[in-house]
Amino acid sequence: MPTKEITPTRSALLEVKKKIKLSKSGYKIMKMKRDGLIIEFFEVLEKAKKMRGSVLSDYDTAMQKIAVARAVEGAIAVKSAAYALKAGPQVKLGSKSIMGMMVPKVECEIIHTPMTQRGYGVISTSAYIEEAAQSFEKLLDTLVRAAEVEITMKKLLDEIEKTKRRVNALEFKVIPELEEAEAFVEFRLQEMERENTIRLKHLKKKGEAAE
Amino acid sequence: MFGRSKKTGNYAYTVAKVKAKKASLLGDDAYAKMLMMSLPEISRFIGESGYQKEMAELAGRTEGIDLIEHATYRNMAEVFSSILQSTQGELRDMVSAYLTKWDIWNLKVILRGKTYGVDIESMKEDLVPAGRLDASALDKLLSLENDKEIIAEFERIKHVEIPPEVVNAYKAAGHLRNIEDYLDKLYYKRLLISIVPSSRPKRLFQEFIRREIDTINLETILILKMEGIRGEEVMEFFIDGGKQIDKKLATQLANAESISAAANDLAQLDFYEDIKEALDAETKSLKDLVAGMKKYHIRQAKKFSHLYPLSVIPILDFMIHKNIEVDNIRIIARGIESGIDREMIKGLLVI
Repeated sequence: MPTKEITPTRSALLEVKKKIKLSKSGYKIMKMKRDGLIIEFFEVLEKAKKMRGSVLSDYDTAMQKIAVARAVEGAIAVKSAAYALKAGPQVKLGSKSIMGMMVPKVECEIIHTPMTQRGYGVISTSAYIEEAAQSFEKLLDTLVRAAEVEITMKKLLDEIEKTKRRVNALEFKVIPELEEAEAFVEFRLQEMERENTIRLKHLKKKGEAAE
Repeated sequence: MFGRSKKTGNYAYTVAKVKAKKASLLGDDAYAKMLMMSLPEISRFIGESGYQKEMAELAGRTEGIDLIEHATYRNMAEVFSSILQSTQGELRDMVSAYLTKWDIWNLKVILRGKTYGVDIESMKEDLVPAGRLDASALDKLLSLENDKEIIAEFERIKHVEIPPEVVNAYKAAGHLRNIEDYLDKLYYKRLLISIVPSSRPKRLFQEFIRREIDTINLETILILKMEGIRGEEVMEFFIDGGKQIDKKLATQLANAESISAAANDLAQLDFYEDIKEALDAETKSLKDLVAGMKKYHIRQAKKFSHLYPLSVIPILDFMIHKNIEVDNIRIIARGIESGIDREMIKGLLVI
């Protein structure tokens, strides 16, 4: 609050003091929130690292299995089996709160389809194709869980950045400006009081002289 | 799906024709050489090894590994068709019954493609007319509007009748599983009927098919077991007519807690030695087990290939070896293209 905009009155001083108190308590809460978010972020970061590792290893396994299935059974057979698949994966999207911040919650409702429900014949489908299908289901499941962790991590980062900016703004701009305004108003009030005292003394002197 | 002729077959002519073709099949050393090659080198090698015509024909439409796969399939289809065309009488019945698996394969490709919405040209590329249905019959199936019409046409040309309960189950589920499984079971049922075990070679042929049924049944049981499906639900997919795995043993295997628990019941089977290692390994993969069964099956075919020169055996032997050649070429080419370890590719080959 620039000092120029303040009318140096007692009520303005009370107002500024109230604002300072509020800003300081806000600053304290924001700082706590920032620290809490950072702790939460490091926990999610660990999870994300593990998930990325799982995604990579599941991806490698799935690619290896599909490569073997395409080699042994032929790309035509693998493609044809994929065409027969009727059931699609289903995920449920929700949200949860981390320190007041809403993050997505993704739950796999149907990822794994039993072989008997996939759509292709059980008798003629080879173990190679079935194993490839299972590996891709596992990869999809890991990807869905990884997506939740990754989005949570990104949202946490954004929130930490936002909170950090707010904390800095309070610490280095809002509170110092309010304190400056408080000092200005106090100084002006004191000066006005001194002026009043002098004026009163002056008037008193004038009155005595007139008597 | 196929009737039975009263005429004896033209064994001498067909066997002579098949023997000439067998001489041009790739030997084990050729696979060893191919394993050391790059994909373009394999294409060239294949082009110079009897697949030249198909490679040239398809080169304008496909390339790389897809060209190899399509060209080898087309070559196999042409070879099988020419064998079928040259057979007569009961021999034709048996060969035709054996090759019907390709008709079912093609029907599955068409039905799956149609229900998914694949365009006709792409589906046509994927067909392997190695059975009784030639290109024009398959074109007719492709041109039909929907799955109902395709199934009806297939029933008409192959003289099969899919029971209403199977069709109803298909309609209710909305997927092809019931129809596909029914056709696979029917294939083996009719194939066994088509082989009259009146002579030793025919009995050997029948025995070979019954062993094939055993391996298919075991693979199905084990895949479903890995999925956690046991008991009655597994028996729904059991094919009758196996040599060693009858309904009783299949039920025992289907009810076993796990694959390792089923190992004791499997110990009495001929191919136990081939799959023993894979069963002992606590890996959750059936890859080695399936490879072991495949190798056993091929060994059985090789075992009687030199017996009874004037029978259905040499013809069957050639068809199996031709199919293996096509599979092995594809395994090597796709394996190298995907960067699979060469030792692993070697393990996947059926030699």
